[in-house]
Amino acid sequence: MIGKPLRRVEDLPLLLGTGRFAADISLPGQAHLRVVRSPVPHGMLRGVDGRKALSMPGVIGVWSAADLDLGPIGFRMVAFPGMLPYRQPVLAAERVRYVGEPVAIVLADDPYRAEDAADLVELDIESLPPVLDQLQEPAQFDDQNDTEALLHEDGYGDVGAAFAAAPHVVELTVTVGRHTGVPLECRGALADYRPGAGTLDFYGAAKVPHQNRLLLAGLLGLPPQLVVLREAHVGGGFGVRGEVYPEDVLVCWASRLLGRPVKWIEDRNEHLLAANHSRDQVHRIRAAVLADGYITAIDDEFWLDQGAYVRTHAAAVPTLTASMLPGPYQIPAYRVRGHVRLTNKTPAGTYRAPGRYEGTFARERLIDAVASSLGKPAMEIRLSNFISPDQMPYARPMSALGTDLEYDSGDYALLVGKAQARFGLAELEHGLAARRALGEAVGMGCAFFVEKSGLGPYEAVRISVDQSGHIDIITGAGSMGQGFETVITQICAQELGVRPETIRVLHGQTDQIEHAMGAFASRLTVMAGSATLIAAQALREKALAAAARMLEASPRDLELSDGAVRVAGDPDTGISLAQISEALRPDQAARWGLEPSLTADGWHTTDHMCYPYGLHIAVVRVDAGTGQVIAERLLVAYDVGRAVNPMLVEGQIVGGAAQGLGGALLEEFRYDDAGHPQCTTFMDYLLPTRAEMPPVDVLITEDAPSPRNPLGVKGAGEGGTTAMGAAIAAAIDAALGVPLGVKELPVHPEAALRLAKAARRESTSEPGGA
Amino acid sequence: MRQNVLRPGLLVDINDLPLNRVEDLPEGGLRIGALARMSDVAQAAGVVQRFPVISQALLLGASAQLRNMASMGGNLCQRVRCSYFRDATSPCNKRDPGSGCAALDGFNRGHAILGTSDKCIATHPSDVAVALVAMDAVVHTRGPADDRAIPIEEFFLLPGDTPEREHPLEHGELIVAIEVPATPTARLSIYLKFRDRESYEFALVSVAAAVRIQDGAIADVRLALGGVGTKPWRARRAEASLVGKLAGEASFAEAAGQELAAAKPRPLNAFKVELAQRAIIRALMTLTNGDTR
Ligand SMILES: Cc1cc2nc3c(=O)[nH]c(=O)nc-3n(C[C@H](O)[C@H](O)[C@H](O)COP(=O)(O)OP(=O)(O)OC[C@H]3O[C@@H](n4cnc5c(N)ncnc54)[C@H](O)[C@@H]3O)c2cc1C
Ligand code: SF4
Repeated sequence: MIGKPLRRVEDLPLLLGTGRFAADISLPGQAHLRVVRSPVPHGMLRGVDGRKALSMPGVIGVWSAADLDLGPIGFRMVAFPGMLPYRQPVLAAERVRYVGEPVAIVLADDPYRAEDAADLVELDIESLPPVLDQLQEPAQFDDQNDTEALLHEDGYGDVGAAFAAAPHVVELTVTVGRHTGVPLECRGALADYRPGAGTLDFYGAAKVPHQNRLLLAGLLGLPPQLVVLREAHVGGGFGVRGEVYPEDVLVCWASRLLGRPVKWIEDRNEHLLAANHSRDQVHRIRAAVLADGYITAIDDEFWLDQGAYVRTHAAAVPTLTASMLPGPYQIPAYRVRGHVRLTNKTPAGTYRAPGRYEGTFARERLIDAVASSLGKPAMEIRLSNFISPDQMPYARPMSALGTDLEYDSGDYALLVGKAQARFGLAELEHGLAARRALGEAVGMGCAFFVEKSGLGPYEAVRISVDQSGHIDIITGAGSMGQGFETVITQICAQELGVRPETIRVLHGQTDQIEHAMGAFASRLTVMAGSATLIAAQALREKALAAAARMLEASPRDLELSDGAVRVAGDPDTGISLAQISEALRPDQAARWGLEPSLTADGWHTTDHMCYPYGLHIAVVRVDAGTGQVIAERLLVAYDVGRAVNPMLVEGQIVGGAAQGLGGALLEEFRYDDAGHPQCTTFMDYLLPTRAEMPPVDVLITEDAPSPRNPLGVKGAGEGGTTAMGAAIAAAIDAALGVPLGVKELPVHPEAALRLAKAARRESTSEPGGA
Repeated sequence: MRQNVLRPGLLVDINDLPLNRVEDLPEGGLRIGALARMSDVAQAAGVVQRFPVISQALLLGASAQLRNMASMGGNLCQRVRCSYFRDATSPCNKRDPGSGCAALDGFNRGHAILGTSDKCIATHPSDVAVALVAMDAVVHTRGPADDRAIPIEEFFLLPGDTPEREHPLEHGELIVAIEVPATPTARLSIYLKFRDRESYEFALVSVAAAVRIQDGAIADVRLALGGVGTKPWRARRAEASLVGKLAGEASFAEAAGQELAAAKPRPLNAFKVELAQRAIIRALMTLTNGDTR
């Protein structure tokens, strides 16, 4: 079962049209909330006048910050105390800081009436000049603080000495634009506070319900057990969906105020203004290089445009950027300084491969720069700097997401070799050279990366078998469409020898299990998968113990297969899990000295992450007339340790690659000089479509299983995205024959055209030839 | 309406009017009803065979879902995509005459370089209108007083000092049909569209082109540009330059250069000047079996 491409068990309701997404859930008597948002990027809020809105039919009320008694939204991840002043208030009180910032709410008996009324709420805002560039010197944020929310410094080794001694120093400034994950389903929330009972039910949760329960309960002053978060179907997450945003708090607050359910469903325009943006980093990076290409030190300084506030991810992106930047290379000395600067744009958070897409772009462009300055092939530079398998586990004296950075396993050169053979890279390059000779601008680019996955510290699973033999697996972690239920089903089915159809995976309900972390950081197959294996092993022990009583045999002589316990070598003695479950009634269990019910809990805890790795290869053609970049092929080789379901790993990689390509060529949140967002619909925020997305060849290897979990697995959620920007950039350089031409993502046609022209000038001014 | 750009007091649904036919006219022309859906027009045999440029322009516009719903009259009258026009809080002369034009010094990468005024530089967004302009179509209207036949070039107004006025329709006047006269040249015609993404995206530059070659020389040529003008842009200067010349890259480039000489680019859309010239050359090369790359 493990290792098989089992079809997704969660698809049936979706195919039958019986899926239930946030907007599908309604409760009797619900009111509808609409957020009034700031139309200006920066200003002092002098007044909110809701009188006109209140006179509209169906309007229940209009509330602004003055009516709220709630603190700012707290941090969920790695935080530093210095970041506290930058948390986002639930509603802007004195100052608005980005277009789209919630300023007031309107509640009405119907969503359309709420929206119409929200348009009539008058805001008196005195505009202030906006800050729009993270490279600009920090400006004033408030009376006490400037706009640099964090200067994150880290590193190890003697960087100064390495640069002083280096025969070559290679330096580069590169930029990754502002883009983000855009799930198909926008956000949505339905809060149901029951006066009297004092309970709050929250529908529309995703990703990290247990953690959000703590945040919401804390903000509202409720005991966490009385707050229940419920996850429905989730139409994509990508890091963006499922954090606590102002709207989540507002529905809860309003439901408690009104004593009736309150629903809010986000539209796409709001989503592009209000949900987390991401990326947007500028790196100035230098390498100290020996004559043979060995890099003795990297020195990187980067500037991250955090937008208007620091949201729940706190310092997760800058610290990940810093710690993961050295990637697969040894780098004996490393220094990094990351400036997290606030601007008047939508706040930023994590997006698939956060910090790694950016850091990998900076580092792999640096490798390409080293290669071109030494006149060597880039892959040779990579191979001579790789951490070698005998150095594993490889500790870098830094930390990532609160864990010590210690790579668990990996053979990077082996993967390069396998990819070269499997994809026929030499012949591919040969063919491209022939096409270039005929005048086509085609080229191939590569980039290598290390991912992190399986973030701890824990995940829990409870398995229970009912009297019919049906199995429920309960976990608090979220499922956002990635195939989580299927993977968990496979692991359990294998361990218990049962058919997948008998298993149901329940997830994301905070009242079903006490502890959970959630679905992020490519962690679930590692963490919840391992917990499932451990719980299934415990359940097997319990089944054998009970069956031993029933068969009057020793547990040692029993075996569990095909959903039944048998005396080894005696196929006629089978007792099914259903019979065992029935037998484990409290009275009988007590007689046997066993805990009642055929249930078992499993925990997986860890202090370390596991580190998968991969090679991305892009083949592109540049239209020399228009500057359009056409991706012809994408190739991904990825070592996942062990693939529980190779089909799902491949699906993750292909989807991730599409997002990596989007960020490299199309997706960008642009702002004009006045701070007005220019990309607030899908007409302006360009996602790749079927037409831009070439076929992706995927090679999955299992050469470096993780020693850190019982399955040997590593995560697969982000490895399709990480190096795609770097690989496409290198491919464009190769197509145009300009080493290190691309320093900025996304590569718009204008930029490609400029490069093409530069290349032509270069080649015509070259002496000799004929 | 959704973005508060328009707040009409009254909406009239015209979808039940019997204006959705695509008819072949006796001499080889077309009469397209104002309510004919974009997808139906694109597939009509007469359009595909005699006016490939119109069919292609339709199929390269919007998305399949939109084309199934959108009407030809609506397409001609669609409002500009200027983001300031659609952001009810920005100054915009088109939405709010006299308030100024935020695009002049704003984010104007998509804006026009031809036919602009200091009041408005928004690009006309339609694709099919570009093909219709190249084909000398006529817009037939019916108003409270009378019926009118407006040559399509006059149907689109330059912004000048009154960008709020985009076409000469009077209050209560409706487009009923679009007539395309028989044009033998149109059999060899093409619509090329350049954009940031391959589908569901407006043009940065587009070209509607048709040529008839006789004895190696250009006997008749039609050229119109989209994505660069404040109205669908008939490239008359280029046409005049081409007639009688030998077909070839040199004459195409010269004509393209003449047409774009009048361009008034801004820093963010300056690339369109060159892109438009290359697009014209590529369209003509393709039609005359030259190099298509
Ligand atoms: C996301 C998106 C992408 C698009 N991409 C493209 C593209 O690439 N290329 C392209 O060409 N178009 C594109 N469009 C435009 C689309 O084709 C138009 O929205 C459509 O043509 C409008 O047609 P409609 O029938 O819906 O008009 P409506 O929206 O109903 O009408 C538009 C306007 O015309 C008026 N009107 C409609 N019919 C008549 C009539 N008979 N007489 C007088 N006035 C009339 C209406 O009052 C209204 O003011 C896109 C639209 C969207 C939303
Ligand atoms: S270009 Fe035209 S539509 Fe755009 S802001 Fe200026 S006046 Fe308005």
